[in-house]
Amino acid sequence: MSKKEKLLYPFYVISHPFDGFYEVRHRGKGSVSLALLLIFLFGLSFSLNRRYAGFVVNLINPRHVDSRAEIIGIFLAVILFATANWSITCLMEGEGRFKDIITVIGYSMLPMVIVFVPATFISRFIASDEESIYYLIISLSIIYFVILLLIGIMVIHNFGFGKTLGTLLLTFVALLLIIFIILLLLSLINQVWLFLQSVYTELIMRG
Amino acid sequence: MKRNRIWLIPIILLMLCINVETAIAHANVPYHTYNYDYWEDIYYTPAAYVPNGNISGTKIDIGILNSPQDIFVGEDERVYIADTGNNRIVVLDKNMKLERIIDSFDNEGSLDTFKAPSGIYVTERNELYIADTDNLRVIALNEDGSLLKIISNPKSEVLANDFIFAPLKITVDYADRAYIIAKNMFQGIMAFDENGEFTGFTGTINVTITAYEKIWRKLSTKAQRERQIQFIPTEFTGVDISPDGFVYATNIDGGGEQSIRRLNPKGQDVIKKGRGGLSGDLTWRLAGHYSGASRIVDIVYRDNGIYSVVDKTRGRIFTYDHEGNLLYIFGGMGSQEGTFKNPVAIEEKGEEILVLDSYRGEILRFLPTQYGRLINEAVSLRFDGDEASAVNVWKQVLELDSNFELAYVGIGKSYLAAGDNKKAMEYLKLGMDREYYSIAYKRYRDDILKDNLSYILTGAMVLIVVLSLRSVINKKMGRRVVEDE
Repeated sequence: MSKKEKLLYPFYVISHPFDGFYEVRHRGKGSVSLALLLIFLFGLSFSLNRRYAGFVVNLINPRHVDSRAEIIGIFLAVILFATANWSITCLMEGEGRFKDIITVIGYSMLPMVIVFVPATFISRFIASDEESIYYLIISLSIIYFVILLLIGIMVIHNFGFGKTLGTLLLTFVALLLIIFIILLLLSLINQVWLFLQSVYTELIMRG
Repeated sequence: MKRNRIWLIPIILLMLCINVETAIAHANVPYHTYNYDYWEDIYYTPAAYVPNGNISGTKIDIGILNSPQDIFVGEDERVYIADTGNNRIVVLDKNMKLERIIDSFDNEGSLDTFKAPSGIYVTERNELYIADTDNLRVIALNEDGSLLKIISNPKSEVLANDFIFAPLKITVDYADRAYIIAKNMFQGIMAFDENGEFTGFTGTINVTITAYEKIWRKLSTKAQRERQIQFIPTEFTGVDISPDGFVYATNIDGGGEQSIRRLNPKGQDVIKKGRGGLSGDLTWRLAGHYSGASRIVDIVYRDNGIYSVVDKTRGRIFTYDHEGNLLYIFGGMGSQEGTFKNPVAIEEKGEEILVLDSYRGEILRFLPTQYGRLINEAVSLRFDGDEASAVNVWKQVLELDSNFELAYVGIGKSYLAAGDNKKAMEYLKLGMDREYYSIAYKRYRDDILKDNLSYILTGAMVLIVVLSLRSVINKKMGRRVVEDE
């Protein structure tokens, strides 16, 4: 597969999700780096939308927009979700590999990447009674993303629809567990660190 | 070298002078003066009011005021102080000099005195209403000190038999109806007619129980329920009345949402709320010194829909306009001049604001600065509907405080009315008024479209012609290609 084909493949995927994701899983047509790029681009367009959407529809305090934090946050969320999903589907005979899950998430974000920037542009030319157009295209792209994600997870793991929903529910539980363990770990490390610190102060005070 | 130094001396002197000047211009006040912007973030403003000395009992040679609870400024600018601990009413004249002390009155032939009078109101005809709390009555005196009437021991089916009527605060409307806040009365403000008969409650605050509390109460046993705190409405703390007969009342709201009410004659709350609610500070510390929501203890209705309230938690005075917009904030706790220990009452005398501090036994006086005066003026002009002349005042306000959103909205609206849509958009955006911005933008966009309609239509025509020509040519070329083959 040529480079150009690979670059254009996400567009094929979003128009033919079942076939597209099947080939991602079984014929190696996906690319993790391209997926990561798409996730990055989504983070960027999300941030751009928050910062530059027109005054009438922009309800976000510009002082609180921090593109770097938002992009990193989106990456963390994607990695968390992928990890949780992978650990659940592994146990439930899902066929997808970790990189497939990342690819699915990244490629599914393409509609949002495409829509957010033009929507932001349009939002600068609308008045308050026309804002429903803006919200419509934004929410359509998000709904499309969710549908693509569902289909993608379903296809790469070779699940039925019900099983996909079930695993997604479990994924959510796993997500909470992971966050809980991370917080626990952090607080434990903090305790150990404090202990070492107090030992150190004790020692130099004695010396 | 020497010559240089000689030149330096006047320059240094000049710089010193300039420093002093700016210090005066900034009016060093002993408190923070700030306001909340659209995003409910704090920004600092110039001081709207500055301390202007105080009046204590010793200053007017009547001994120390003993935990006074209320003040009132009459129509003729006389100041009445309810000197609660000393069981007397102190009357000051226009110039804040002692005029007389009322500590007794002639009650149908016998001399009668007060016991802890804690509320006072004076009508236009200079009739003096005194909430004589520990004597469980309200006394109304004529201007010459003779007894007008006594309101006590109200009888009604809606009142519990063991209810003890201990009036705290009082206000009287133009028709001599009295509105009284009584101790331990949670049903609302008690209204009395001109003969002193109890007519009912006004402004009852409904208790709201959250779903969580409901579930929790369902789950607990009867014994547990009895030991839980009761859900009772909050008591009113202060009351005032506007000339058109609307009662302004304050209550303590622990959630910090609504502490101010404007009651119409039917007793319904008809106050207009601005963006941030009506309860003083929008953000506060959760623990430690000066923590918790503002506890609004008294209100004064000023002219043109403006009203000020005083907060006991942090000693701040908040001023709102008739639409519930927060205009300015000043005041604070402390022991410096111009700060409070325990503010209990607020009044307006001329352009001065008077705050009574019961712990200090002093009236603290505040004078408006240029900034405060301009805001008052602009808001008054807008209240009268004269938005056009308000614009110039708003512009002056912006020179002193370029963050004042209300001023931008005021100017923006007048530009909109004048048809300058572009300017209107600019100002309304700075004032964070989406609704009017949208109107201005729509007009602006229509104008641009109208002006350029000929170009747009020509462009569209050209495009259509080119496209159709291209398809015609393509067809012919295609045919030729086919023919060639």
